[in-house]
Amino acid sequence: MSKSILVIGGGFSGITAALEAAEVGHEVYLVEKRPFLGGRVMQLNKYFPKLCPPSCGLEIQFQRIKKNPNVKVFTLAEVTSVSGSAGNYEVAVRIKPRYTAPRSCDLSELAAKLAANVKNEFEFGLSSRKPLYLDAPFAYPGRYVLELEHVSEEEKKLLSKSPFINLKDEEKTITLNVGSIIIATGWKPYDVTNLTNLGAGQIANCISNMQMERLASPFGPTNGKIVRPSDGAPPKKVAFVQCAGSRDENHLPYCSYICCMASIKQATYVREQYPDAEVTIFYIDLRTPGRYKKFADKVLADEKIKTIKGKVAKVEEDIATSDVWVTAEDAISGNKITEKYDLVVLATGMQPSLAGESVPFDVQVDEEGFVFDSQDKGIFVAGCAAEPLDVMKSAQSGTAAAMKAIQTVRGR
Amino acid sequence: MTMVSRVKPDLEFIKELQEIGGENVKKCFQCATCSVVCPLSPMDKSFPRKEMIWAQWGLKDKLVNDIDMWLCHKCGQCSEMCPRGAKPGELMAALRNMAYRNLTGPSFLGKWMSSIKHLPKLIAIPAIIYLLIWFITGSICGSPFPLKDGHVEYSLIFPGDYTIDPIFGLAAIFVIWSFYKGVRKLKEVFDTQPKTFVVGYTRPKTIWHALYEVIKDEVLTHKKFKDCGEEEDDQLKFKGHLMLFYGFAALFVVTAIVAFTHWAGKIFSFLHMGYPMPLYNPVKLLANVGAVLLIIGLINLTKRRLNESTKDASTYYDWYLLGLIWVVALSGILSEVLRWANIAGLAYLAYYIHLVSVFMLIAYLPWSKLGHLVYRVFALAYARMIGRVSTEVDEQKNKLFVI
Repeated sequence: MSKSILVIGGGFSGITAALEAAEVGHEVYLVEKRPFLGGRVMQLNKYFPKLCPPSCGLEIQFQRIKKNPNVKVFTLAEVTSVSGSAGNYEVAVRIKPRYTAPRSCDLSELAAKLAANVKNEFEFGLSSRKPLYLDAPFAYPGRYVLELEHVSEEEKKLLSKSPFINLKDEEKTITLNVGSIIIATGWKPYDVTNLTNLGAGQIANCISNMQMERLASPFGPTNGKIVRPSDGAPPKKVAFVQCAGSRDENHLPYCSYICCMASIKQATYVREQYPDAEVTIFYIDLRTPGRYKKFADKVLADEKIKTIKGKVAKVEEDIATSDVWVTAEDAISGNKITEKYDLVVLATGMQPSLAGESVPFDVQVDEEGFVFDSQDKGIFVAGCAAEPLDVMKSAQSGTAAAMKAIQTVRGR
Repeated sequence: MTMVSRVKPDLEFIKELQEIGGENVKKCFQCATCSVVCPLSPMDKSFPRKEMIWAQWGLKDKLVNDIDMWLCHKCGQCSEMCPRGAKPGELMAALRNMAYRNLTGPSFLGKWMSSIKHLPKLIAIPAIIYLLIWFITGSICGSPFPLKDGHVEYSLIFPGDYTIDPIFGLAAIFVIWSFYKGVRKLKEVFDTQPKTFVVGYTRPKTIWHALYEVIKDEVLTHKKFKDCGEEEDDQLKFKGHLMLFYGFAALFVVTAIVAFTHWAGKIFSFLHMGYPMPLYNPVKLLANVGAVLLIIGLINLTKRRLNESTKDASTYYDWYLLGLIWVVALSGILSEVLRWANIAGLAYLAYYIHLVSVFMLIAYLPWSKLGHLVYRVFALAYARMIGRVSTEVDEQKNKLFVI
């Protein structure tokens, strides 16, 4: 019997689950696929319910992890196989090499010396980065990661002279013995290239809501200035396209819970930066779960923020100006609207990270890729791996999963 | 202040509509994707979103008076892009089916044409008439499969002057009268439609001008079908319908020439042609070209209907017409081939089937899907009159007028 708990995924719900279990004395392994913790929250400019910047919640979490010897974090790590049963699992974890020495020091000068510019997936392709990088200023672990495949032989020689680089680092597989497993693998933004009638990601000034978060983020590609990707011009007319690939049989058949609120929140980003800017939100139903209604009412009282009931079904680029033509039918008046906007934001939904992936152990996964709790197996799900949630509810579900995992390893 | 009017749902009508093809209408959540992706929908009071909510609410009056059902050419774009599988394209087709059924009397014919269970009755009418004729003429000739100089000659059993022309003539008069009533009713309901002002659009002066424009710009070119989409299915539909149309046009011309020369030939003997015409006769040639066009058109359309599982499903109205035209075309060709081959038994049978199927095609025309020949053309012309046209937007989007 093992009293240890494995948490797969180092986003908000995974971190919460790990800490809740660790702080009552359980040994917890936190396994994260990416080089840094924080998950999707790290990429947001502000998050609900209090509209904090990610540093606000996450830095405290990182401190708690740092101070708690019960939490053992593995980054660049993936679970490759799981065997055993509740109370006694043997888990193989493959850890990719980081090629940097275990120290949190600023390698930005060294990074600047490297020639390659790699597409920055943390910024959703809005900028590029060096192959030696941190995602964000307060990334955790604050240890740089080096992508060797983008480094030339000469650069390797230069890098090898640095005491903070370890070119001899190798991929390794470790085995963990745990009693319970929490799946907190989270979500990915729905792939806009599937949205053929909404530009399929080919229109420069038609961005996704997550790209909007990065544009508005102070440590994002534009240092927080919301500008058009095509020419860096400040947008005067912005449209939000709700349910871009959500509540749609042909894409994600479910509602992603928070996108309406996210667009309303992003409307405030635009309005705060540009007092003259106009915002239009095209929607099927504006969904304001729970107490969010109050926030929505407050924001929508702004007369420069307009809402139109009617899903945008056509988005086209204006070749001459790179503006974006948006066509929708205003279902209230019954007339079609075709209008030109400087910037269009697609409110894409959350797709579970496990959608289309093979899961290395036996849990029930629905056809969309959402995972179910397996009480008898001692495997539980936290956060958006189970259903689309906001950060608050993700944290709550993390705590709940930790409780269930503790019950599994200790008995009730 | 506007009057608040209470919605009076007609539940029975909705049930009928669902049976006749609009079964998924209740799934719609009014996102309005359909109206936007429709290549033919006008900018104002677009379709088919509004029809979907009318149908959900049971607003029968609005639905049956809706001119837009005739503007839809059922490319299936709306159904394909619909996030709910509510299939707006099927609803539009169901509305048209409803119109074929109810626009013109006698009501029993509309009902009989709406479901496969009444098909035997529809077949029985011409089948019995021509079987009786066959029985009588067969007795006179002394054989049900008589030969003249050793050759099959259809006029021995079905003499045109007495058994074909009078029956089809009466049927044609009945059909024209029924269409007249139907179109008059359509005009009445369309007259209640609002007129739209579209900048840069010149409205035709009279309905006759409008009809001329529709025939010139749309019917002869099948332009709307072309606008409907470029996928394989759309191509099959465009080509199939075009060939079928010209096939029928050719056969109509042939029939007109034959009928005219035959009856006029009784007075002016120089007009008289010998029947059956030899193959090299241009009229016969045209007839055979028409038959070939029919077959190619039918193959295209049938192929499309068979692989349209993802788009709109086909209804009984679709299959009835397609099936009937297959029978007409094949029995027609067989009649000709078997006559050459001189296989009397089969030849007479083929000719009999041909007569029965052609009777069904013509006499039931206003209540079948083929009724669109008249109703759609009239509605399209009327739409031009009131300025209800899809706004054509050029590539650069710099010319767009929305009023």
